[in-house]
Amino acid sequence: MESNSSLLAELKKLTRDLASHKIELEQARGYLQCILQNSTDMIFATDVDGILLSFSKGGEKVLGYSWEEVAGRRINDFAEDPVSFGHFMASSQEEGSAVALDVHFQHKEGKTIHCHASLMSLTNREGQRVGTVGVCRDITLWKKLQDDLIQVDRLAEIGRIAAGVAHEINNPLAVINEASGWAGEVVGDARGLSSDDRRELEESIEKISAHTRRCSNITHKLLDFARDSATTKREFDIHEVLKETIDFLTPELKHTSIEIDFNFAGGPLSVNSDPRLLEQVFVNFITNAIHAVLEKGGGERRIEIRTIKTNSEAEISVKDNGVGIPEEAQAKIFDLFYTTKPPGKGTGLGLSICQNIVRKLEGDISFESKAGVGSTFTVRIPIS
Amino acid sequence: MNDQPNIRVLLVDDEETLLEYLSKRLLKQRFTVKSTFSGEEAIEAAKEEHYDVAVVDLKMPGIDGVETQRRLREIQPFLQCIVLTGYASVDTALESGQLDAFQYLSKPVDYDNLVAIIKDAYKKRMEIQGSKFKEQVEEIYRAGLGKRGMRRAIGELHKIYGVE
Repeated sequence: MESNSSLLAELKKLTRDLASHKIELEQARGYLQCILQNSTDMIFATDVDGILLSFSKGGEKVLGYSWEEVAGRRINDFAEDPVSFGHFMASSQEEGSAVALDVHFQHKEGKTIHCHASLMSLTNREGQRVGTVGVCRDITLWKKLQDDLIQVDRLAEIGRIAAGVAHEINNPLAVINEASGWAGEVVGDARGLSSDDRRELEESIEKISAHTRRCSNITHKLLDFARDSATTKREFDIHEVLKETIDFLTPELKHTSIEIDFNFAGGPLSVNSDPRLLEQVFVNFITNAIHAVLEKGGGERRIEIRTIKTNSEAEISVKDNGVGIPEEAQAKIFDLFYTTKPPGKGTGLGLSICQNIVRKLEGDISFESKAGVGSTFTVRIPIS
Repeated sequence: MNDQPNIRVLLVDDEETLLEYLSKRLLKQRFTVKSTFSGEEAIEAAKEEHYDVAVVDLKMPGIDGVETQRRLREIQPFLQCIVLTGYASVDTALESGQLDAFQYLSKPVDYDNLVAIIKDAYKKRMEIQGSKFKEQVEEIYRAGLGKRGMRRAIGELHKIYGVE
């Protein structure tokens, strides 16, 4: 009897323990499930061959594939370089774990995803390898931010150097300017010059003056570019500024037969921003559009200026049916000193300055272009 | 151009060649011109003689343009200063709020523009000086000074206004 009752007690205890283990197990499973469901990291488990056995919600976001789409496929196939990812997997199995600072995966839409990845080898109770668990953090945005910062830094540095050079050049330019002005006066007063010689001298002096102006135009634009002054924001109507810009460009438009279409959002487009800086952007966009349609030559010449208002942003775009930008040039158009115009016509500063301005105004600049068809340049700025 | 008043211009720039040509052109247009090649030299010159308008470079070794124009106006309160800068953005100087100049011009300046501005500055100088002079003369009358006191006061005025 006694042994029976002690057995019964033991059985009860066992049942109780089992129940509590079951609860613990359920809790642990729930905890794990919670992590797999909510972590933004890509967490996966594979068998020894790398076939995916589990794939977290975060993984679906990072790579763009659903679990159904990846189930049964090898994780290596989602890496940009499956072979070196295979080496990475192998080293984690040999060492027990491995970490890589920047692994490239390929998103469903084709773009590269940068991940900070750590892999751990899974073993069973007998110490046999049964698979791999991986935790990958998507650092693509962070990478981009870092690259942007480097780019901004580099640009600021170029700007500083250029401004220093420009400033130093302005002094000798001022001397050349005055010396040629004086020479002009001396020639004007001189007696005994043959009319041919006089004309030659006058033309040469005029050339010196004109090219001095050209130089100072460049140095001043550079200094404007590098200048890091506070923007002066106020409330104003973008439509007004656009109309003023067109007025300002009227001399350029004369005798060109360019048709300008205004496609404005209804009512005034009020924003709180810097009208002077934005006007500079518009002048650049429209001047570029004018040059693009003129360069194309015959046919209908059309520039469309469109504005759109959303809840938080004003969008202004300038579309032309000009020559367009060849594909190989498109990546470089915002680079300092990059120009497709013949020597003396463009400084390669306009769009760099625009980009700088729009950045300062916390906006966004973009373009679409097709060689031979035309270009559209768009700027978006916050309304307040 | 012949009935142009005699405008006395003080040029201050460490770029000697620039002043050489600038002064030649201004002299030809019948300005009275004094070239100085540093802030210090300009201040000495202002102690010696009266000028109507000063054209001052912003960036110079020694006393810079900001300080130079401040001290020049201490010596000659009616002197109008035109400040030249190698920086494109004349606004930088304006934004700094350090300057109280008649006008800022970025180098290289357009000569005709400079001449027009010198003439405007001269006009402003004469206006300010004229109204101030009237004020002070009235004050001397009101003070009811004797003959000697009056003479001394007039002597003071001569000194301040640089009129012979």
